Amino acid sequence: MTENNKYWRGIEDQSNPELAEKLAQNEFSNEISQADFLGKDELAEGETSRRDFLKFMGFSTAAATLAACEAPIVESIPYVVKPDSLTPGVPNYYASVSYDGFDFASVLVKTREGRPIKIEPNNDAPFNGATNARVQASVLSLYDGARMQSPMVDGVAASWGDAMAAARALMTENSVLVSGSVISPALKTAISKLGLRHVSVDAVSQSARVDVYESLTGRRGLPTVSLDKASTVVAVGADFLGDWGGENLMGAYAAARKPGEGMLRHIQVEAGLSLSGSNADARIKAKVSEYETVLAHIYNKVAAATGVDKIAAPAVREEIASSVDNAAMELIQAGSGALLLNGLNSVTAEKLAAKTNELLASAAFNTSTLEYTSTGSDSAFNALLSDVKAGAVDTIITLDSNVLYFSTEMAALADKVNLVSIADRADETASKAKVALPLSHYLEAWTDAIPVDGVYAVGQPTISPLFDSKSAVEIVNGLAGGSESAVDLIKASASTTAIAKTWNALLHDGFSTTPVLVVNYELSPSINLSDVTVGAAIEGIEFYTYTKAGMGAGSNANNPWVYELPDPISRLSWDNYLAMSAADAVALGVENYAQSNGAMNGNTVNITVNGTTLENVPVWIQPGQTQGSVGLAIGFGRESVGKVGNGVGVNANALLATTSTYASAEIVATEVEHGFASVQLAHTMMGRKIVNEINLPTFLHGNAAEWNETPTFETHKGPLTAFEANLWDDHDHETSHMWNMSIDLNSCTGCGACVVACSLENNVPVVGKDEVRRHRDMHWLRIDRYYSSDMNEAVAEEEGIGAIEKYAKMEVPSESPSVVFQPVMCQHCNHAPCETVCPVGATAHSREGLNHMAYNRCIGTRYCANNCPYKVRRFNWFNYQANEKFTDVNPAQDDYGRMVLNPDVTVRARGVIEKCSLCIQRIQLGKLEAKKDGRMLTDGEFTTACAQACGSGAIVFGDVNNPSSEVSHLKQEARAYHLLEEVGTQPSIFYQTKVRNRA
Amino acid sequence: MHYESPVRNPLILGDKSYSDITNDIAKPVESKAPRAWWIAFSIAFVMFLWGVGNILYTIGTGIGVWGLNKTVDWAWDITNFVWWVGIGHAGTLISAVLLLFRQKWRMAINRSAEAMTIFSVIQAGLFPLIHMGRIWMAYWVMPIPNQFGSLWVNFNSPLLWDVFAISTYLTVSTVFWYVGLIPDFAMIRDRAINPVQKHIYKLLSFGWGGKAKHWQRFEEVSLVLAGLATPLVLSVHTIVSFDFATSVIPGWHTTIFPPYFVAGAIFSGFAMVQTLLLIVRKIFKMEDYINIEHIEMMNIVIMVTGSIVGVAYITELFVAWYSGVEYEQYAFLNRATGPYWWAYWSMMTCNVFSPQFMWSKKLRTNLVFTFVISIVVNIGMWFERFVIIVTSIHRDYLPSSWSMFSPTFVDIGIYIGTIGFFFVLFLLYARTFPVIAQAELKTILKSSGENFKKHHDEHGAH
Repeated sequence: MTENNKYWRGIEDQSNPELAEKLAQNEFSNEISQADFLGKDELAEGETSRRDFLKFMGFSTAAATLAACEAPIVESIPYVVKPDSLTPGVPNYYASVSYDGFDFASVLVKTREGRPIKIEPNNDAPFNGATNARVQASVLSLYDGARMQSPMVDGVAASWGDAMAAARALMTENSVLVSGSVISPALKTAISKLGLRHVSVDAVSQSARVDVYESLTGRRGLPTVSLDKASTVVAVGADFLGDWGGENLMGAYAAARKPGEGMLRHIQVEAGLSLSGSNADARIKAKVSEYETVLAHIYNKVAAATGVDKIAAPAVREEIASSVDNAAMELIQAGSGALLLNGLNSVTAEKLAAKTNELLASAAFNTSTLEYTSTGSDSAFNALLSDVKAGAVDTIITLDSNVLYFSTEMAALADKVNLVSIADRADETASKAKVALPLSHYLEAWTDAIPVDGVYAVGQPTISPLFDSKSAVEIVNGLAGGSESAVDLIKASASTTAIAKTWNALLHDGFSTTPVLVVNYELSPSINLSDVTVGAAIEGIEFYTYTKAGMGAGSNANNPWVYELPDPISRLSWDNYLAMSAADAVALGVENYAQSNGAMNGNTVNITVNGTTLENVPVWIQPGQTQGSVGLAIGFGRESVGKVGNGVGVNANALLATTSTYASAEIVATEVEHGFASVQLAHTMMGRKIVNEINLPTFLHGNAAEWNETPTFETHKGPLTAFEANLWDDHDHETSHMWNMSIDLNSCTGCGACVVACSLENNVPVVGKDEVRRHRDMHWLRIDRYYSSDMNEAVAEEEGIGAIEKYAKMEVPSESPSVVFQPVMCQHCNHAPCETVCPVGATAHSREGLNHMAYNRCIGTRYCANNCPYKVRRFNWFNYQANEKFTDVNPAQDDYGRMVLNPDVTVRARGVIEKCSLCIQRIQLGKLEAKKDGRMLTDGEFTTACAQACGSGAIVFGDVNNPSSEVSHLKQEARAYHLLEEVGTQPSIFYQTKVRNRA
Repeated sequence: MHYESPVRNPLILGDKSYSDITNDIAKPVESKAPRAWWIAFSIAFVMFLWGVGNILYTIGTGIGVWGLNKTVDWAWDITNFVWWVGIGHAGTLISAVLLLFRQKWRMAINRSAEAMTIFSVIQAGLFPLIHMGRIWMAYWVMPIPNQFGSLWVNFNSPLLWDVFAISTYLTVSTVFWYVGLIPDFAMIRDRAINPVQKHIYKLLSFGWGGKAKHWQRFEEVSLVLAGLATPLVLSVHTIVSFDFATSVIPGWHTTIFPPYFVAGAIFSGFAMVQTLLLIVRKIFKMEDYINIEHIEMMNIVIMVTGSIVGVAYITELFVAWYSGVEYEQYAFLNRATGPYWWAYWSMMTCNVFSPQFMWSKKLRTNLVFTFVISIVVNIGMWFERFVIIVTSIHRDYLPSSWSMFSPTFVDIGIYIGTIGFFFVLFLLYARTFPVIAQAELKTILKSSGENFKKHHDEHGAH
């Protein structure tokens, strides 16, 4: 029997049950009287009067209206409803195009949480799907705080409406639109709608070459090149791996240079040592002013062989005549496999080269498919200059063309016209403009392009404009009175070009190939040489301008990555300089010398060209430079580009007329000293087997055990290799993955794209000139460049030279050096010297053949860096993210620049060591994706940033435990070797022997 | 009281009684500091403060304020470390090894030599700490239980062995030194008039009563500690040399390093003892206790160890040539003829050539000459470490990474600071501690004192 117990809910329940009951029933004791709130029968009797009601309603309406207005978002807020396409932590990729008037590339843009953070190649693209160093770096230019943040009228910020009105008010019949090459059909339509005279001029002009093909085909473009059809290429001043034309030939060159029968033979004739010249099998040193005579000489040889009339030309300099003869003979022997390229902006030179190719029926020289990335016209620009001088021009509208910087003539005439500038920043031109209209970065803008016959590409925005800027097509269309949005303009353009793809497919792929666009041009009538006069070479010293692998034409001149990237040839960063031969330097009494801390210093000169003097130009003594010829890179010496680029180097354009690239010069040495930021102090291999290099016959017929000898040690068991003579317990490398990397020294052109890609991917800090000068560059991946020396073991033995003198002479590079490049990153040694010496075990080995670095555990003894035979470990000497020494250069110190940091990679603290991780974040992501899908990893599913950026495919990354992987095949190659194998480090990185096509 | 051959020179000059010894040795502690002391102390203190400032600047800003770079990651920091550790060696050698070998001449110098050891090991210990990028994590080199899971130190790393070697060495040396000090502190305690001073020395002397049992324990502990300290003389610098010898860098990876480093350490340590004692005996008028006999003995040690070091240098060169390894050959050729040839030849001149003058009795008993050589040897030994460290790594395997090193004002400032710190400690010691082990010295007065020997010669043994 149960007892019905009573439980009190509280003491009140017992003491005063009535009250408790009442309270329980009336939970909300202060009930609002409905009548009071709504009013009684009549409003007037209630406590809320009609006036109050109207007040409340008025307030509510006003509040609702205000709340609907756009309020500035100060802090980021999470999505309430997440967009389908956007998952935090998962990158999105968008196909786009990058074109800045110099470089064209089809790219994939990697975005994270809505921020573009990396540019990757669009491997499916039919034209320029590879990225070079400049395109890789361009993503940081998006986050440049020096960009114009709103339209400016007379130097004061204005609204777009006012600024467009002000610009239109300045537009008269006598206005001229000045731009670089325009490859966007939509922009072309907008420009023609504008109805103004349009002058197109390029900072690096190919005008004369383009003129030749225009006169023959009626279209302004340059021939494309099929290196796969060539067996011998002779390039005269054409740095086709650098700035020659807009076609990226890295991949084709590497494929054609694959060692074996039929390997492309490459002869380079040039004044300064270029990327192409460094990679050539033979190199002939000729002045720029000799190019025409060299080409005429080759032409005459070919003409004689094919029974055509020779042309009159001055004789080629005696020293190089026989080499040029040989080059011509090789071309003749190659027949239709011959290819002669000209790099000089001269009608004569281009006609001679084209005619030679025509005579030899070169299959590699495509005049039927033209590319359009460099189509500016020098003559149109010169006409504009004289019109401005005559006062016949009222207003000049510059469209993404910093004409006052690269044209001193125009700068001198700037006061005679009203300037309207459409530019991304208040540069040398826009800062002087009455109206400046901010141009969006390509990652914020819609665009389209026909870079080459048969290819239509579109560029899409990957982020809202950071500043109040607009795309070029929208601005020009707006000036022409249109009001369509950029995307509509591009859509319209895409529909009129009759592409085969749907709009969505086009955006997805980034390009479309369609036969409708292909126009076959025949060179008819064929090239006529009757009006050609070959100019004589400049006696004395000539001056020419060139472009650097990092800076290019200078569109990224406020981008610290392009400055920090050491020049592939000179290994100098943060500078331009007069490249001079040793003989000329001796004659002038100028020198380069190392300071006690290893920093390079040099003398400077005053150089006078056509009456203009550039003072205190630093001289760099460049092996391989032609005597009597000095070169200076363009794009430097900026005054109004931003805190990074202002005042770095000198402006080479100041010396030359806009449309010329070389002239006679006078040079006087000065007392002023200049400090260089040199990352490499020793330039030769000192007789060591670091880059293994052989000639083609050795490769074809020699014994691999001899030309790629594995170092052995004499032991009591007989000679053993470093892998066999092993004191250590081996790691287990059979289970799971074993990541290896093959670097083909034969394919590597030294371009530096991998270095920039690595910096982007891994948040490698930029440290600026002073720190680079102190040999504290932070690059995880460097490209060592070695010159050959005239001294070697054989010579020393023959001449009976002692060791001390031998080594001293080995340090001196040859005046005509053979050049090799070697990318070096952490070699991921399987017996790593760094791992044993760390007192706290901050660096350890993985089961997958990687050498890990635990930044959090590192206490910064730097013992590992000392004990690394490859010297790839980098120490954080300062707090680069906060130390004010780096405020101007380090993007991580900038609110905008910080947005480019890869969220997958830690930004390292002061006092810790860092180094290449073989992009472990990518490996982990790939493994996790495969695990989620429940499948095995496939080869090539992911790769490192460097391998991805490498346009020539020199770097191959993969799992050697996967027998079908490319890298496991490459490991079996006869050319494969480990760097410093005799040290016994057993690296996971291996190299492929370089093979030169020479006897 | 055992008999000592008349062939041996007396170790205590003059007509000394036990009381004279007590008075002479207690005098610096009991009297006011001479003007020279104040001047020296002021200079040393300013140097010390300058060093402190530079160290704080380094810790606050980063190792980048030094002259190091991506190739030369150690330079003055580890050079100074090894140099100071090396200097420390003489103290232990004199007090422990010479004790075991019953070398009586050590008695006048062991106290100061040990003090020098401890003070220089303190300087040495600073460098491994401040050369760390993240000094606030320095305790991670200790194998202490932690909350990081099973995270442990890396027992393969010679740098970790260094931690153990140096800390053991510092501990044993300090204990050994202190044990020897106890009877002497008691002597000062017993003489002290000032109550504060008396109290302090009372605490320091651990209630020493001079009983036979005390003396017995004292002797036993000294012997045990000497036995413990003797292997340390060999082990510490051997382990320091492992920092280099176990690496793969040509010029570092050398199996000759352990004996070569130990000989070098004794060499530099004796030179430093020589420098200090020549000053101490002059200022505190202790010429009778630290006399020409002592100085000559030490000069002979310097000469012998200097020659051993010279042999080691030449052996290195020979082995480099004989090995046939091009990197090794180049490393040594580069030392002698490369950009740092001046450092190499400074080292050779100071360490190998200059001690050879000591073959001449006239020179090795010349005080001024001895003083100059003692300084020269320490300069040379500093260069030796600089040559080993910097010239090896500045040009190693890949020429692309070759670089140079030049110190910044901070590198120099910290070095000067440690010299200042060392002298601050040594000068304080010289004013407050009995600088000669008087209790021990008294045990040989009757056998090695000048007047007793003379008396013995004149009157025979009876």
